[in-house]
Amino acid sequence: MADSANAPKPSSSVKLVLLGEAAVGKSSLVLRFVNNDFQENKEPTIGAAFLTQKCNLPTRTIKFEIWDTAGQERFASLAPMYYRNAQAALVVYDLTKPTSLVKAKHWVAELQRQASPGIVIALVGNKLDLTSDGSGSGGDADSAGDDSGDARKVTTEEAKAYAEEEGLLFFETSAKTGYNVTEVFTAIANAIPETSLKSARGAGASHAASRTEEQRVNLNGPRDPNAKEGCAC
Amino acid sequence: MESLGDTLWDVVICGTGLQQSLLALALSRSGKKILHLDPNDFYGGAEAALTLQEATAWVERLDKSGSRSSSVFRSASITKSEDSPALSFSRAYSLALAPQLIHSRSQLLNDLVSSRAYKQVEFLAVGSFFIFQPPSEASEKPTLNRIPSTREDVFLTTSIPAKAKRGLMKFLKFVLDYDVEPKRESWQPYTDMPLSEFLSKEFKMDTQLQTYIITLTLSLDGNLSTKDGLAVIHRHLSSMGVFGPGFAAIYPKWGGISEIAQVSCRAGAVGGAVYMLGTGIESIDTTVADQIQLQLTSGDTVKTRMLVKSSEVAVEESGVSRLIVIIGSPLKMLFEAVVEGQQKPAVAVVALPSGSLTYTAGKTSPFPVYVFAHSSDTGECPVGQSMLYLTTMTTPDAEDVLGKALQSFLDAVGVQPSPDILYQLYYERMAGTVDGQMEGSILSFPAASPSLAFDDLTLGPVREAWKRVLGDAADESAYMTFADREGIADDDDDLYD
Repeated sequence: MADSANAPKPSSSVKLVLLGEAAVGKSSLVLRFVNNDFQENKEPTIGAAFLTQKCNLPTRTIKFEIWDTAGQERFASLAPMYYRNAQAALVVYDLTKPTSLVKAKHWVAELQRQASPGIVIALVGNKLDLTSDGSGSGGDADSAGDDSGDARKVTTEEAKAYAEEEGLLFFETSAKTGYNVTEVFTAIANAIPETSLKSARGAGASHAASRTEEQRVNLNGPRDPNAKEGCAC
Repeated sequence: MESLGDTLWDVVICGTGLQQSLLALALSRSGKKILHLDPNDFYGGAEAALTLQEATAWVERLDKSGSRSSSVFRSASITKSEDSPALSFSRAYSLALAPQLIHSRSQLLNDLVSSRAYKQVEFLAVGSFFIFQPPSEASEKPTLNRIPSTREDVFLTTSIPAKAKRGLMKFLKFVLDYDVEPKRESWQPYTDMPLSEFLSKEFKMDTQLQTYIITLTLSLDGNLSTKDGLAVIHRHLSSMGVFGPGFAAIYPKWGGISEIAQVSCRAGAVGGAVYMLGTGIESIDTTVADQIQLQLTSGDTVKTRMLVKSSEVAVEESGVSRLIVIIGSPLKMLFEAVVEGQQKPAVAVVALPSGSLTYTAGKTSPFPVYVFAHSSDTGECPVGQSMLYLTTMTTPDAEDVLGKALQSFLDAVGVQPSPDILYQLYYERMAGTVDGQMEGSILSFPAASPSLAFDDLTLGPVREAWKRVLGDAADESAYMTFADREGIADDDDDLYD
């Protein structure tokens, strides 16, 4: 856009995985980030394998490949391939449900066990719109049916202290109003060390392809339909 | 969220081995209500890839069930060198229980491409095939001879005398369309005779060349019929170069077939299937019409219209013995690209022909031993190490044979000083039922074949089960053919705003 006249910024793909108890709003956060959309009473996620969204930083572009749990977290049945090469994770809990923070801590431990050592983890307390501080987001006054206007059960201090202890990024968000959602992803993008970034495949202006790319066999490339050994000469 | 017991499931799939997982993938857009269980707490069943910790638990569990075990696995044991500082943490390793090669022309790969599941798997090239050459005199060292893989390669090799080359070239050309008249006539008299006889009589191959050819078949007993042998050699040669120069087969990174099972199950989950690991079926009750009641080991009771499981029960005393070894050396010389423009191979195959090993006084190896060497590029071990998968037919002495094969292999590779053996897992995998059960509302897959190369016959029962589940709604032409899920962009979309 604005800098089209300039040399393009380097672009990198980052695999980001979602974790957290069912119904805390994992998919809703992503839907807000990617499509700037929100669906009330959303059914459990079906059909979303990944979503991708770019995040423009001053010196580079991060292209998030966001993996949904596809419900495999429900009975702790996520496969190793889910965690593999993930460079970032969003661990989500519901501000109105203390057990979801307990679950979130479990997922953080699981990430520390399963994921790459350098993974950037953001702890996110969602559903801020259901609390009294939720109004800061743009006055969605008719939202909660709760007249007291505060369903918060997890204090900011408690979650923040835990996040600091474990070295996690920490945010409270509302997928419904959009409050703080982009900020989470921008903070993650900024926290990913430059050295761990692989250039996106096919990026013409980027660095030389990494070794693993060279080795990878492309199943869907141009095939030689009459492939046979040797040349006939 | 509704509980498991409230739902009437269309299908409960038990086990996440390759076939069950591919069924989940095939049904992932069907809208069927699917509950997918596995008694193990890992994906992949008999094709799983295990961390060191998982392997320890797996061995203990097999030990405990002992002879009562209904598993196809038995006699598993682990040997670790006493103080092995070089052995990394548990998760740095993936021990593949089924390190099968997949030929480029396999239908499995077509299915993975058309179902779009291939996008989450990284495939690596399988490189050279070598033959172990025992020392000719006691003082000499054994060697490894690379099998020339293309006709150009045959021209260039110095290990085959010129005269023999002619026979080999003639044979390579013959195989490409061996099953078409008039060529068919020339081998049909030999159909059920040993392939070696056909090679010797019709192509004047000496025993060395015959061994080369038989190695390419990865035949476990080294004694296959002309008909079967030609079919697998044709598969090998016609797969050569399909995905790039110089290789005929590929291997999924991070543990082989296990990775395909995981990716397929994820596709199932994305399609709405519910996944429960560590949960098996305690009992099956079919007294209610049109409905199966399952008591799960988790304590839940669920109702389903159909049940798909595998018959992972050993029915025969024959099978394969395998030794999985972690080596403290990258064994670089095995993983060199030999053709220009070839992807760097991550897998090498070494055959130690029957009779080439003397493992105790006067006893020689009765069957071939195959060594699949995996570099750290497979993600199965840390950089600087490599994995070896040694396989032979099970005999009472198989463990000794494999131990000797490991030593001889390392001698032949000739790395100095001799590399450390960091870890060994030995087990036997018995043959299971050959026939599945595809009738009524309880289907069972036959046990997967323990062959060294993926066998497309494995796919038939999956398709059959898919048809049974969908009934009249099954549209054969749409089998495993899906569009990309939302949000997966092509790699070449614009990267700049």
